Amino acid sequence: MIRKIWAIFRRDLKVNLKDSIALYILFIPIFLAVLINLFTPGINETTVDLALLEGDNPSQISYLEQFAEVELFKTIDQVQQRVEERDATIGIVPENGGYYLMTQGNEPEGIVDYAKILTSFYELDISMEETNSELFDFERTVPPLKKTLVNTMILLISILGGMLIALNIVEEKADNTLSAINLTPAGRLTFVLGKSVIGVLLSIIGTLSLIVITGFGTVNLLQLLLVLLVTSLLSISVGFIQGLTSSDIMTAAGSIKILFLPLLAGVLAIEMLGDKWQKFFYWNPFYWAYKGNDLILSQSGTWSQIFMYSSIVLLISGIVYLFLAPKIRKGLE
Amino acid sequence: MKLFSSFIKELKLASRGFYFYVELFMAVIILAVFLLLVPDNFNNQRTEYIYFDMPRQTSELFLQEILQEDTDGKAAPVKVEVDKQEKDAMLYTTSDQKIYVLTSREDVIYMADKEKKIAAVVKLDSDNAINYEYYLQGYESDKFKNLLKILHVESNETIEAAMNNQDVKPLADNTLVLSDKENMMPSVLVFNGALMGLFIIAAYIFLDRKEGVIMAYAVTPSPVWQYLMSKVGVILVTTILSSFLVIIPVMGTQPDYLLLLLLLVTTAFFSSSLGLLIASFYKNVTQAFGAIYGFMLLMILPNIAYFIPSWNPDYLKLIPTYPMLEGFKSVLLGNNDWLYVLTISGGFLLVGAILFSISNRRYKKTLLG
Repeated sequence: MIRKIWAIFRRDLKVNLKDSIALYILFIPIFLAVLINLFTPGINETTVDLALLEGDNPSQISYLEQFAEVELFKTIDQVQQRVEERDATIGIVPENGGYYLMTQGNEPEGIVDYAKILTSFYELDISMEETNSELFDFERTVPPLKKTLVNTMILLISILGGMLIALNIVEEKADNTLSAINLTPAGRLTFVLGKSVIGVLLSIIGTLSLIVITGFGTVNLLQLLLVLLVTSLLSISVGFIQGLTSSDIMTAAGSIKILFLPLLAGVLAIEMLGDKWQKFFYWNPFYWAYKGNDLILSQSGTWSQIFMYSSIVLLISGIVYLFLAPKIRKGLE
Repeated sequence: MKLFSSFIKELKLASRGFYFYVELFMAVIILAVFLLLVPDNFNNQRTEYIYFDMPRQTSELFLQEILQEDTDGKAAPVKVEVDKQEKDAMLYTTSDQKIYVLTSREDVIYMADKEKKIAAVVKLDSDNAINYEYYLQGYESDKFKNLLKILHVESNETIEAAMNNQDVKPLADNTLVLSDKENMMPSVLVFNGALMGLFIIAAYIFLDRKEGVIMAYAVTPSPVWQYLMSKVGVILVTTILSSFLVIIPVMGTQPDYLLLLLLLVTTAFFSSSLGLLIASFYKNVTQAFGAIYGFMLLMILPNIAYFIPSWNPDYLKLIPTYPMLEGFKSVLLGNNDWLYVLTISGGFLLVGAILFSISNRRYKKTLLG
């Protein structure tokens, strides 16, 4: 049986390499990882953006540069143009021997307050030497946003694995090779397992390259593998059902879109919604997988917690599979 | 006329297909989620953990100051789980903060270290001057750390007086602001319409190629551009239908619907033309999948800047979805920013037309291949 599974996998791999699809799916996590590495330091450095007049008050400029992103402009009109752009930049403009804050009017209150507090500190002539605060830290270098992005991408990659299976099956159907499988000694289970290998393998390799490039290489890989495998199970089931029930690529493309919805809902619920809303997302396996991955990426997850989250994902995926199994069986007939 | 009948035929075919209903089903689900589950505004209260390492009389002065800003004017006794033990704490709730006052320095450090919360100790030094200890994670920016260092050099009253003295002059009066829920709508519109259009049109073309529809089309008197345009038309109709299905119940009468229609049409035209062009380089959907997916990911990036207004690097503004998001935001606000919306719509129409004509040339040569 293993040899047959291996043969099916080798065939998929050959076809996918010929179409460069596997290459793309391998390339996408690396591309994502590089993007995450490029973006997160910039986002993490963000406090408030200020626009000032060049050469107007050098001591004010160098003072504010200690606390904010400062952009300099030659004229007040240029400062105004910058403030009017569609992000939240606040101008500090001289007037009657003093300064006023030029805003667009639609900036978040926190950003305007931040600018107000900085200009107040400058006016009060508070220097860093006068500090009465001591800062201690736990030497963590990974900002939470980076963890969120990496976690979301891990789930996205597992969906990619499912999508690859779906596309492979639809292509087989179009080439009329799916029914030919009934004539070979490979049973249905062998076929299902054989077809799944490439999806799981791609999701594991993709995730590993993602976490190594983004600097999470020291996490507990066994824990990650466990969550990854149970999540892949869901993607595989859905990939199969998409592939087998879709009569053409168009239908498969439509179903793929549906799968993004629970993924995004799970991530947004955890990151943006308050405690009272969480129970509405307990049905969502991506919600639990995200929670499990979060613990693993923060290196604070105990085995019992990871087992608990993995079991929940497995249970929900199992229920989904039970519903889908008759359709998969029928699709293979 | 031929174009119109070709478009109607495509629309009829699409309405018999599964995809058309997936699009509408997705719109209904998104609508249900936004109407039933997403609150108008998210909870933006910061949670902080503080321990006062000083005699009770001195700490009372601090607590009295916090109480003045407490929403109900009194502190609530609560339990906080610290290292698997329930510990007593007092909770002060202001409009933008939840402050837990804990009973030991170790508990505050535990909350910072293990629970990754904002935590500080307020203490008296040997000269009886007030000092602060902040427990940070380590990834905070230097600029933020610099601010923490000088945050308490002057008294709160002095700082507040200086802040109240700051003159803030908005360039526009009565600027409209979207609620947190409404603010997510531009993202939904871009994802649902523009991004998926890219993928779906390519899938349509490959399907037709596989089923031999294109071969059949070659023997009709219709030019290729009409065939391509009728496909784009189907994408436009599904985009408009599904977008309006979500926007009307969530936003009511606030948006400028005429401008919304214009922006939806031009952005969907642009992205489907881009999808056509990408698809023209590949033989089947599996081959094109990687390239389309790569483009989609690139187009998703401006969403990050959209939700973090103070992070807006110039290179992100070059990605077409950046002006799309800002344009949809203007339209949903109903702030009569006609000039901006018309400018970007014109831009998308122009670039879309150029991409469409390049695709048309390529398909004339390759469609039968």
